[in-house]
Amino acid sequence: MRNRWILSLAVAVGLCAGWAAAQDPAPQAGGSLVVAITAEPPGWDPSASTSQEIPRVVYDNVMQGLVRFDRTGAIVPALATEWNVSDDGLTWTFRLREGVTFHDGSAFDTADVIEKFERAMDPDSGHTNSQYYEAIESVEAVDENTVAFHLSRPSSSLLYNLARPDSVINPSGTAETQRTQPVGTGPFTFAEYVPGSHVRLDRFDGYWEEGLPYLDSATFRIISDPNARFAALQAGDIDMIGVALLPEQFQQVLSNPDLKGTQGTGTAEITLAMNNTREPFDDVRVRQAITLAIDKNAIVNGAMFGLGTVIGTHMSPSEGYYVDLTETYPYDPQRARELLEEAGYPDGFTIEFELPEPYNIERRTGEVIAQQLEQVGIDVELSVVEWATWIDRIFLGGDYDMTIIGHSEPRDINVYANPDYYYHYDNPAIAQLLEEAETAPTQEEATAKYQEIARTIANDAVNVWVFSSPYLVAVKRDVYGFWTDQPTPAIDLVQVYRAP
Amino acid sequence: MLAFLVRRFLSAILSVVLASVVVFGALLAVPGDPAAVILGMNASPEARQALSRQLGLDVPAPERYVRWLAGAFRGDLGESLNYQRPVSGLIADRLRVSVPLALGAALIACLIAFPIGIFAALRRGSFWDPLLTSLSQLGAAIPSFWLGLIFILYFAVELRWLPASGFVPFAEDPVRWARSLLLPVLALGLGQAAVMTRMTRAAMLDVLSQDFVRTARSKGLPQRGVVLKHALRNAMVTIVTILGLSLSNVFIGSIVIEQVFALPGLGRLALTAIGTRDFPLLQGEILLYAATIVGLGFLVDASYGLLDPRIRYD
Repeated sequence: MRNRWILSLAVAVGLCAGWAAAQDPAPQAGGSLVVAITAEPPGWDPSASTSQEIPRVVYDNVMQGLVRFDRTGAIVPALATEWNVSDDGLTWTFRLREGVTFHDGSAFDTADVIEKFERAMDPDSGHTNSQYYEAIESVEAVDENTVAFHLSRPSSSLLYNLARPDSVINPSGTAETQRTQPVGTGPFTFAEYVPGSHVRLDRFDGYWEEGLPYLDSATFRIISDPNARFAALQAGDIDMIGVALLPEQFQQVLSNPDLKGTQGTGTAEITLAMNNTREPFDDVRVRQAITLAIDKNAIVNGAMFGLGTVIGTHMSPSEGYYVDLTETYPYDPQRARELLEEAGYPDGFTIEFELPEPYNIERRTGEVIAQQLEQVGIDVELSVVEWATWIDRIFLGGDYDMTIIGHSEPRDINVYANPDYYYHYDNPAIAQLLEEAETAPTQEEATAKYQEIARTIANDAVNVWVFSSPYLVAVKRDVYGFWTDQPTPAIDLVQVYRAP
Repeated sequence: MLAFLVRRFLSAILSVVLASVVVFGALLAVPGDPAAVILGMNASPEARQALSRQLGLDVPAPERYVRWLAGAFRGDLGESLNYQRPVSGLIADRLRVSVPLALGAALIACLIAFPIGIFAALRRGSFWDPLLTSLSQLGAAIPSFWLGLIFILYFAVELRWLPASGFVPFAEDPVRWARSLLLPVLALGLGQAAVMTRMTRAAMLDVLSQDFVRTARSKGLPQRGVVLKHALRNAMVTIVTILGLSLSNVFIGSIVIEQVFALPGLGRLALTAIGTRDFPLLQGEILLYAATIVGLGFLVDASYGLLDPRIRYD
């Protein structure tokens, strides 16, 4: 009953936010905005590093692709105005927007598109996520304003992948310098970067969308400490926190008359990852028992102040093919103990549980989980691991018992097809289903396949998907037009304005 | 004297080189691959190898170290892996934050510690001495980051007198520069002042109990002359030693304070370099830290002869 009340409160907050949006004053041009970010990425080219901190600043603001996600997650035209697919699904034709110029003054044309995707397709070019472009065989200019993508097989995820941050387009011949000086077609130019301090974006007067952007400039300040970040907002030094706002800070935002807060959906699944080949996790009953032993609602209500949605597989409710699987192994400590006994561990066992140092929400969730596992007789040795070590030993080396991390990349269920991924989950059926989804003739059939993957990994209890993080934003009262949901990790400022 | 200084200087250089070897070895021993950190999660092994080659990480470690050391002696600290900018330029930028922060904190510490320490020593046994001593004990026990957080909550969030974080370069706006540094300088300086107060008091007490002070007093010299001409002059050797130590302390202590106030100083640069396994950058920073601390020690040693003619170096 208590759970339901907190849920309805969350819904009410969401409704208030929606209602407020309807009452927003008319957009005004001018002014500037200071936004906090948490960390400095290695360079600023989304096609050179998969660091999510890069698109958070440059996606849509500075760099754009043929298509883009809008604030609801829908894929909408950007540098392409329209597109169509041949009946066999093997040729995608995009009509390019005319009269678009890059920040360096050069005109956007088919040569830029061709160079970009030839680089993206080449696994040796250093371009990120070349698997997104695997199906592309060649890209050619049909006429002055049209490009055609020729595929080796139908690809239901092509358009989605073209909207991702990896697919942003730079002027041809500038791939080398994008890391330090990103040049794109977005409404803001990358004006200044002071390492350790801030990035400043300035309004681009030659932007193709009429009347946009509203802001004259936007500064992203790097403040890594969560308390310092929130203090800066309370003190009025910054105008917006659009990443890693803590639930307890969100409560303070709601009671502060100078600030307003919104709660929306994100794409991060807080995932308790288990090493599926290591004893005792190589026994599916043990993994099921661990899932059954964890009270996800208690975690969301206790550690997250009710902010967050309990999930049952590697999908967030905001994703198009979401399916609710929370009832696959609902909280049942008695059943967990029975399964452990069946698996030959009547007295439990000892495992190491390593928490990633930079991630506050994962750390606190992990601490609660450790306690809950102790309740069913599993002895948990908790430790905190520094980030570079986490990436090297746990994520790339796969050397660990159990860890926890938020997987914030949208539509990343494909990782379960890779037995070398750090879960070490080896099930050839997933790769098969993934290929069927990819080549499915309709979106509905593709969705059905993705949902089957989601069900398979949930039944196998590969990991414990605890909850989907909410997207929390805190801004000063006079800031409008920002994204309240997070279909992709980006602080999109294209339509943001200030109105006193 | 000259021979001593040359000897001292050479041993200082040796200490700095040794420090850089230790840091280089330590970085090799901990897990973490710069290419992996740069490319992020979901990067393919091919991409990581390609970037490793591009960054020059395929060269064996001893060779890399020798190359770096040879460059460092020529004044070339190499290029940061993460920022892809020259290390010397990155460090120079951060000095604009860290030097005023450290000097400001040391100045505050001196301005508070010397008068109060001397006063407490002269009033030994009075009502003031135990009060000041316990206050300084309390000050020494409070961590600077905690003090920083309290300052932020009160002066920035509550009163809104000063910014909670960030740095404005002096050239851009001197007033905002001073405002951005005031709270961090105080947070760092007050703790140091407490430690130095205790040391100054002890040094003064030591000198005041010496025979020459008794002689000066029995000659009928006024209190002022005894303290300034005889006692303080003789306590200077100890005080300068404390000053050298405290400068090193504030330099190191600023790492934490920069984090609390989100200042783009050397400390945060070092943390970023460690987090991204940015070998050249971290090596350059350690070189600077080691050189500063060793250099301060050298200056303190060299000043003894000037302060106290009884001290001979051979």
